[in-house]
Amino acid sequence: MIIYDKNILDNEALDDQAAALYSGGFISKEQRKLIEKELPSFKKQNNILVRLGFFLLGSFLYLSICGVISLIALSGNDDFLDICCYLFAIVGFVGAALLAKRNYHNHGLDDAFILGGLLTFGCAIAITTEGYEMVIAFFVSVAALYMFLRYLHVLSMLVFCFAVTTLLFFGMFEFGELGKAVLPFTAMIFAAVFYFLTKRVIKNLNQQYYYNGLLLANSFCLILFYLSCNYLVVRELSAELLGTEVKPGTDITFAFFFYAFTIVVPILYLVQALRTKDRIMLWINFAVIAFTIYTIRYYHSVLPIEIGLTLGGIVLFTIAYFSIKRLKEKESGLTFKPDRINHSDGFLNAEALIVASTFGMKPEVKTDSPMEFGDGGFSGGGSGGTF
Amino acid sequence: MEKFKEQATQDLLESGFITQNQFDEIKTYRSLNIFSLNAELKFLLYLSVVSFTSGIGVLIYENIDTIGHIAILAVLLIVIAICFYYCFKNSKGFQKTETVFEHPVLEYLVLAANILTCIFIGYLQFQYKPFGDNYGLATLVPTLVSFFCAYYFDNKSVLTIAVTGLAAYIGLSVTPQTLLSNNDFYASESLSYSAVMLGILLILWTIYSRRIALKTHFALIFLTFALHIISIASISNMVSFDVFTWILFTVILAVSTFYFYKISYQYKAISLYIFMIIYAYVGVNVFLFKLFENIDFSEIWELFVLILPIYFISSIVLFIKLIKNFHKEITA
Repeated sequence: MIIYDKNILDNEALDDQAAALYSGGFISKEQRKLIEKELPSFKKQNNILVRLGFFLLGSFLYLSICGVISLIALSGNDDFLDICCYLFAIVGFVGAALLAKRNYHNHGLDDAFILGGLLTFGCAIAITTEGYEMVIAFFVSVAALYMFLRYLHVLSMLVFCFAVTTLLFFGMFEFGELGKAVLPFTAMIFAAVFYFLTKRVIKNLNQQYYYNGLLLANSFCLILFYLSCNYLVVRELSAELLGTEVKPGTDITFAFFFYAFTIVVPILYLVQALRTKDRIMLWINFAVIAFTIYTIRYYHSVLPIEIGLTLGGIVLFTIAYFSIKRLKEKESGLTFKPDRINHSDGFLNAEALIVASTFGMKPEVKTDSPMEFGDGGFSGGGSGGTF
Repeated sequence: MEKFKEQATQDLLESGFITQNQFDEIKTYRSLNIFSLNAELKFLLYLSVVSFTSGIGVLIYENIDTIGHIAILAVLLIVIAICFYYCFKNSKGFQKTETVFEHPVLEYLVLAANILTCIFIGYLQFQYKPFGDNYGLATLVPTLVSFFCAYYFDNKSVLTIAVTGLAAYIGLSVTPQTLLSNNDFYASESLSYSAVMLGILLILWTIYSRRIALKTHFALIFLTFALHIISIASISNMVSFDVFTWILFTVILAVSTFYFYKISYQYKAISLYIFMIIYAYVGVNVFLFKLFENIDFSEIWELFVLILPIYFISSIVLFIKLIKNFHKEITA
């Protein structure tokens, strides 16, 4: 199924491992260089900016090929508009195959052709079916899955996840009012089933080629599971889809369940993440907690925002302080010591930037409000409201 | 995933890329089964400081007439004093090189103390006007405090506050949002000159610091501010109609681009390098536009349409080349 040479894929894994070991200080720079040189590898771009540049170039190339086809075909036949997107999609798929044969992988150029192919394929189906969402979602998900399985293209996996979710949604719409009403529960069950399914598949993987994509799908399920029965999402979506208006004093049906769900799931995630030492789940959990707080604050003003912030700050500080105190001296397992192999401190570098934008001082001359002078501490509070 | 990683390490050993000793070391380390919460807990601390100080700031702002002023000031002062007390007690004193606290919490305590001090002084000035109508001084004092804290406790976050304060003192807003939204501060020409002067000052300070080996790791922050301030001021003045102004600022931008090209290699700083390229690219385009402004396009627009895609593609190719070069250079 995989188009790439297995040897090179294996080399890739070794190379990644060597890079991790080098940054952890286990092997020397010479060894790292030697490994890189000795093992034949793909044409790939690790630097995200270079990859983006190549992606743009690839898109230009793709567009110009499509443009040439259109120029030739438009002069001949009127039916061209109906089939043009199929032709463009074929261009994308063929281009992707050709690039893969030349060992382009995660390079940027191949991304352009794979994603472009999927996009035009979706458009083609849309034109043929006159915008029948369910059919589009179905075909796009099949194509995206194929792209992932054949080219190990992780972004296609993301497209697949979204397409399948869309398919589920529009599939439920087919059942009319009833389908819309039970949509949250269907989505929840769907996410849960797929979560455990992908987890099991990952566990039983013998080779690591599909690991990254499956991990992405797994994380996607976690997020979908939470969002499916989040109170805010359910309430706003039901207002949107069913046109139910929540009058003062009443609430949506099963409101209690949705509230409980919104609050219990973050706790569940946190416990599970720490128990299974799952870092991605932990990060998702941070986002989920933030969204839970947002959800509750959206409907109930439990505390005035400033008191909430102040108290929240104190509580967070206490939690962090005591956690650090407990974990500081531990040498193994759950610890505060930085991990030598898996770094995750990238976002700490952004700290200074955020401080500058929240608390940076502004000149006093231009402002009318007397409170603005001197420091941004006052005005900074406004942006703090997003927490 | 762990099993794949272990397998990969095993393969590296079998292919003879790593020695048995290294392999054993890695294996022992892996068997510790480390799950580090270092970054996450630091992030929590940071979040707590940000939300606490924002909360306090808004709290004071909202209740300015209801709670007694003295009460507010007293509470603030006590909190600040407690924070600083712990910081001073546990700090190793001033050092010219990079230092870290024994306990990571203190780093964030410094930040909290500093922000609260700024709020305190701001509030004091608003209520009692100790600096009279001299608002510049009211900005300068927190700035100086911030600089002191930044250098004494070696804190980069505080340093950025200090730099924004310094800019505010001369009338510039250099917080990231205002820089991005390209505010009209730079529209006024005299402010642009001050901005460029401030940028040069910051650069000179990094050069001087480097010479006397004073907190050399701060240089990147100063340089980042300098790059953005100078470049944005130059570009917004390059669109000016005054011939002298736009030529002058074109020259300034060219010189600064050249300088930052050199310096980003020296510091191996990709963030400086990328923004240098972006600003230079915008600058070149504005410059070309200025040149073509007086040419009548009705005759040659077909040529123009032909050239445009080529121009775009060659820009991207150039961009990729530059970044690849840089990457090769700094990893070498």
